[in-house]
Amino acid sequence: MARITAGVATSHVPAIGAAMDNGKAGEPYWAPLFKGYDWTRQWIAREKPDVVVLVYNDHASAFDMKIIPTFAIGCADRYGICDEGWGPRPVPEVAGHADLAWHIAQSLILDEFDMTIINEMDVDHGLSVPLSLMFGQPDAWPVKVIPLAVNVVTYPPPSGNRCWRLGEAIARAVESFPEDLNVQVWGTGGMSHQLQGPRAGLINAEWDNRFLHMMSAEDDGALRAIPHIEYLRETGSEGIEMVMWLVMRGALGKSVKALHRHYHVPASNTAVGHLVLEPA
Amino acid sequence: MSDIHQYLAEFDDIPGTRVYTAKRARQGYWMNQFAMSLMKAENRNRWKADERAYIDEWPMSEDQKQAILDRDYNRCLDLGGNIYFLAKVFSTDGLSFLQAVGTMTGMSTEDYQAMMIAGGRSPEGQRSIREKR
Repeated sequence: MARITAGVATSHVPAIGAAMDNGKAGEPYWAPLFKGYDWTRQWIAREKPDVVVLVYNDHASAFDMKIIPTFAIGCADRYGICDEGWGPRPVPEVAGHADLAWHIAQSLILDEFDMTIINEMDVDHGLSVPLSLMFGQPDAWPVKVIPLAVNVVTYPPPSGNRCWRLGEAIARAVESFPEDLNVQVWGTGGMSHQLQGPRAGLINAEWDNRFLHMMSAEDDGALRAIPHIEYLRETGSEGIEMVMWLVMRGALGKSVKALHRHYHVPASNTAVGHLVLEPA
Repeated sequence: MSDIHQYLAEFDDIPGTRVYTAKRARQGYWMNQFAMSLMKAENRNRWKADERAYIDEWPMSEDQKQAILDRDYNRCLDLGGNIYFLAKVFSTDGLSFLQAVGTMTGMSTEDYQAMMIAGGRSPEGQRSIREKR
């Protein structure tokens, strides 16, 4: 049977991808950020996941204002890299796992999560930067990816509790897939950042680190109860992306073991957080 | 469930922030769709060749068009723009998020970047207008 073996959380700042693509990762500005991913790259090379359910948000790339799905799951065999306004990132296209994706999609719908199904899509930095952080610059990504896009742009996004429960439902779906697959769930985005208005540049390291701690601890219901207004006030207008981490955390169950933790300010306008967790 | 009126009302209590609500999304629909069109290289070329002619093809208000032409991103936000869509405009200009976002703060590019390297803007006093915290 397929099994969820680990969860990864990471920010997905576009400038991180640009730094790698332009050979700047070793520069003093960037080196401390990337150093925090060295451990993970060695770990994931050993773990060799077959499939990653990659929870991310599209940044006005595949989805414009015409259609705004709250939760959408990619069920295609492949995904192109989109042109976000400066040409596509020079990274490999992304291979999907259509069999598992459709299995999860069907299971989630029966489990009362009314998913939007995507059969064709190009993916943006929200999905490609986490792959770059974990795997560097290979000729082909060494893992198949099931993109799971969450609307965190147009209000209201889904509640933290809903995201958590979606993660629980994903875990049930994965566990009922007959093929023997090593599956990871990644939650991406965050941490504190605000990209708009006079308050832009807000960073709340204290709040972020409390969040990292709570993500790594046994679930007591507190994380999933954080209301949107708290993310907005405490972590900036774009900190709301952290609800996507809760999908990953929900998929891992009540107790987790934290294998790795990294926090760095800044990457561009953003506080970067990173966790590797195992179900315990 | 949450009361949607109360939920939305709280957003107005955050200093220096325009939360992208349905109201703003409706007001800014064409401004954001215009910006989205710049994801295509051919449209970027047409926009760069004659900004006014290109933007006049879109059913936006004159205020919205002028705010884009002026690259006045705070004004764009006020008129329903969303930063991820507006990013297509400043990316076409060759600006990074760091450079473009800084223009909304009233700080110079250098001062804004220095603030970020020093740990960013403190949340103290930036959480709530009403509660002054």
